[in-house]
Amino acid sequence: MSETMFIVGGWVAAGLTIFLFSFLYKDNPFFKAAEHLYLGAGMGWVFQTVLFQTWIPKVWEPLTKQGDWTVLIPTVLGLTLVTQFFPKISWLSRYGFTFIMGYGSGLVIPLTISTDLLKQIGGTMAPFMVSEVTRGNILSLVNGAIIAVGFICVLFYFFFSVEHKGAIKKASNIGIYFLMLYFGAAFGNTVMGRFSLLYGRFDDLYKYSGSNYFYATHVILGVMVLYFIVDHFRTRKPAAEEEAA
Amino acid sequence: MTLIKKHIPLAICFIVGILTLSSYYVPTQASEKYVESMNKWENIVAGFAFLLGLFSLFFSHTRKITRRVDGWGYSLFVFVGFLAMVVPAIVSNGKQMVGADLTGLGWGYRFLFNALSGTMFSVLAFYIVSTAYRAFRIKSLQAGVLFAAALVLMLAKVPLGQMIWETLFGWTGGWDIAQIGQWLMDVPAVAGKRGIMMGLAIGGIVTALKIIFGIERQYMGKD
Repeated sequence: MSETMFIVGGWVAAGLTIFLFSFLYKDNPFFKAAEHLYLGAGMGWVFQTVLFQTWIPKVWEPLTKQGDWTVLIPTVLGLTLVTQFFPKISWLSRYGFTFIMGYGSGLVIPLTISTDLLKQIGGTMAPFMVSEVTRGNILSLVNGAIIAVGFICVLFYFFFSVEHKGAIKKASNIGIYFLMLYFGAAFGNTVMGRFSLLYGRFDDLYKYSGSNYFYATHVILGVMVLYFIVDHFRTRKPAAEEEAA
Repeated sequence: MTLIKKHIPLAICFIVGILTLSSYYVPTQASEKYVESMNKWENIVAGFAFLLGLFSLFFSHTRKITRRVDGWGYSLFVFVGFLAMVVPAIVSNGKQMVGADLTGLGWGYRFLFNALSGTMFSVLAFYIVSTAYRAFRIKSLQAGVLFAAALVLMLAKVPLGQMIWETLFGWTGGWDIAQIGQWLMDVPAVAGKRGIMMGLAIGGIVTALKIIFGIERQYMGKD
């Protein structure tokens, strides 16, 4: 790819980034255009992924090169989904949906039992196994005890078959604190994840502000500021009208 | 007609569900082959399911353009964005790189899609901060614990937070903030997470059983 295309790419990326950030000031046509472009580009990206990773290698090639006609069954099931757009025959889509739901349900049960139930219980019990205890790692035991107590208390919080009073209420209250710690930690992680994306975008804007990109960031930012100034005066209501309002 | 419209689809769900479930617990060559085939079939059907969303989006925006509703011009950008990704993908046969050279699809991904998705999600950082201000008004001890956990995690993840901690509490010679953050994630947060995971797991298993046995059938729509 030529150097020019990289420079054009820099301008496009800087422009779209600034257009989307401009929403922080106020809604504007540049933001709306970029937002719709994102929607289309996202769908385009998924479409080409499905085309080149599913339809061509798993449907077209087995049919044309290997003569494997069995792929027609899921293809027909898949096509029945599209009948949703035709009310008279939309019931046909049930064939595709029931296949997906049946397969998904059959798959999710053993996987959930294995990963979310047994492994979690095993992980909670592991620090108290004889082999672990004989190692004499006090810190590991204390941490294991905190996890076990917290886990049981959280389960009490979600256990509604008995009334929450007395000892059960106390356990359930302790469970709330562990839940709060988890929610807080999850929130902190999410915030930092978003901020790391933000640093990435600022880093790109800095990169595209260089002379090798013909100061793309500066120029686009300047144009946006100019637009907002002009827009401010253009849409400002006359003083008399403002007073009446 | 009820047989074709209702009973056969429910039978498909039951048979596929039971066979998939049992093939996990009865690991034979036949069951492994069955799971492999079903996995491939599910990929194909799911690929067509994507078309539902795509067509729905296109219908909605085509209608806006043809009826010239307010802001119809923006709908054109949906099609521009779609074509900007799909046309280069077809030309470059779905490849982002050829050797060390970027293809049209690679260019579109790097300068268009990546820039847009990265910025769209990073804008949320600002809204999260404003939400946090409202959510973290400490009205109870529980809210205080939530705030403290979030604060510790945020400080632990950035060098600035570590510097602040070092300046304020460095003289104690205890754990640094990164270690505390890690402990928070590895110990008390795990307890809370496991409780939620277990609840979700039980709910998921029950719902899956209800779907296989045809008790839950709302996804089939109205008769």
